[in-house]
Amino acid sequence: MTTIDTDVLVIGSGAGGAVTAFLLAQGGRDVTVVEEGPWIDPDAMEPFSLEEMVAKYRHRPAAALGSPTIAYAEGRCVGGSTEINSGLYHRLPGYLAEAWRDEFDIDEFGPDALDAYAKRIEAELAVSRLPGAPPPSSALLERGATKLGWRAVEFARVFRYDTAGRGVKQTMTRTLVPRAVDAGATVVPNCRVLRVLRRDGRAIGARCRRTEDGRVEDLDIRADHVFVCGGAIQTPAILHRSGVRGRVGAGLKVHPMIKIAARFPHPVDHGGVPMQVITEFGPNLSIGGSASRRGQVAMALAESSPDFEEALADWEHVSVYYAAIRTEGAGRVIGVPGLRAPVVTYRLTEADLSRLARGLVHLGEALLAAGATELYPSVRGGPVVRRPEGLVDWWSSVTRSRANLMTVHLTSTVRMGQARSRTGTDSFGRVWGVRNLRVNDASLLPDAPGVNPQGAIMALAARNCEQFLSEA
Amino acid sequence: MLRFEREVVRSLVTSPDAHVRAEVEHYVDGALRAMPEYLRGGLVAESVTLGAWAGIRGARKPTEPEALARLLGAWEESPLGVLCMYVRLFRSLVLFAECELAPAPAS
Repeated sequence: MTTIDTDVLVIGSGAGGAVTAFLLAQGGRDVTVVEEGPWIDPDAMEPFSLEEMVAKYRHRPAAALGSPTIAYAEGRCVGGSTEINSGLYHRLPGYLAEAWRDEFDIDEFGPDALDAYAKRIEAELAVSRLPGAPPPSSALLERGATKLGWRAVEFARVFRYDTAGRGVKQTMTRTLVPRAVDAGATVVPNCRVLRVLRRDGRAIGARCRRTEDGRVEDLDIRADHVFVCGGAIQTPAILHRSGVRGRVGAGLKVHPMIKIAARFPHPVDHGGVPMQVITEFGPNLSIGGSASRRGQVAMALAESSPDFEEALADWEHVSVYYAAIRTEGAGRVIGVPGLRAPVVTYRLTEADLSRLARGLVHLGEALLAAGATELYPSVRGGPVVRRPEGLVDWWSSVTRSRANLMTVHLTSTVRMGQARSRTGTDSFGRVWGVRNLRVNDASLLPDAPGVNPQGAIMALAARNCEQFLSEA
Repeated sequence: MLRFEREVVRSLVTSPDAHVRAEVEHYVDGALRAMPEYLRGGLVAESVTLGAWAGIRGARKPTEPEALARLLGAWEESPLGVLCMYVRLFRSLVLFAECELAPAPAS
């Protein structure tokens, strides 16, 4: 058994963990980051490819049990899900910050304070909008919205553009992880945390298992402070394995997405993800574009109809879009002794299903208005629609047994706030009942924000780091 | 990957290229291994049950490879969610892998 001593142990290296490691190392603390997955060169693989899925995803796929099940994706590599997401960036909407502050009694939490941290993060990541015209897949959404008189906006992205307009996604392995290392942090990849070690009511480190070149080695990392930043699924699982329960794991929130593969009379780009989002029905329903390589197009087409070969042969004219909702229902993450992966469940209400059906129909309207000639919904046996009058059939087709849903945004399993009966940590991520143990990731958000949560996670993590440094 | 699962994958792959077929099988095998245990456990139970059923129906005789494909097609259209989800899971994995690994046919 090898033992490492450090001042601060950060578990996880995604949006929350990378911010934590960077700011605390920059603040002069001795920081060690452990990451379960490998450290992969961000330029080594094409985005959304099979190769990337094999190397960087935790599961291919996993699903939250429920009716219907909801497939979900998580990154498992240095940089976490920032390595595999679309890179769309959005600050936490101000009205949500105010509502959460009041509902969960969160101290020093409001739009102005968070915006100040968000500005710093945006500068670090070069958050920007696309220079020049959007790609066709993105422009089509805008065209559809405009024809229908709906509001659509171009979301900023964590992309840095060169003078020729070529963009590179600013993942954590391109930005804050190397900057944390430059500031003195140590990153240990391929290292799974078995449990957080505790003594006399305080966290004193973690027991880990490192796998390197086929060799397995157990490792104890002794730390004065432990930050768990594994994301909304792994963080509660680690805490459960460590004997920390209470409200931990309850209240999982996701943005379930229902999709349409849309066929156009002209070719559509397939290299990235559209940055236009229809916000007309926000905050509870948003419409945007998905990854649309040939593999994703094939899966989307097959979800509605067994007769998709002809459309697949024309895949260069097909792009995949989604409608995503905020849900009334919620889920749970349960760490089960003996199982490597936690059990994840999610319950959608009838109102949620109705909202998904509305989203599917609105998405169909926008795509037909944009010139799509055929729409394949991610609904089993959902009729392929070619004209607006056909959309009416979709209202009744989004049922528990027929809807195929997925999500990439997972939050709220260790909520923060002073309302102790409904939260897992205090207002700054300090886990109730265990001194020197903190959570600093998507788990803390009291609810799903209705937009890509990366910006909110990073601003929140920066806020909590500043609080931590001010305590010392 | 269980024997029946391998047969299902082989019946769903459309490429005649032996290398692509092997790579798709390898990908699906990896995906099943990477599944959370609670999902994989349920899938194994389904595979054992459905494999036995397919055997009884004579859909797994080497001389009749199309029989399994016909049976899978029927399961996919079944009103029983568990049957349909079973086939859809394998079809999604195979489709994605095949589209990624095999060059797109010239349009």
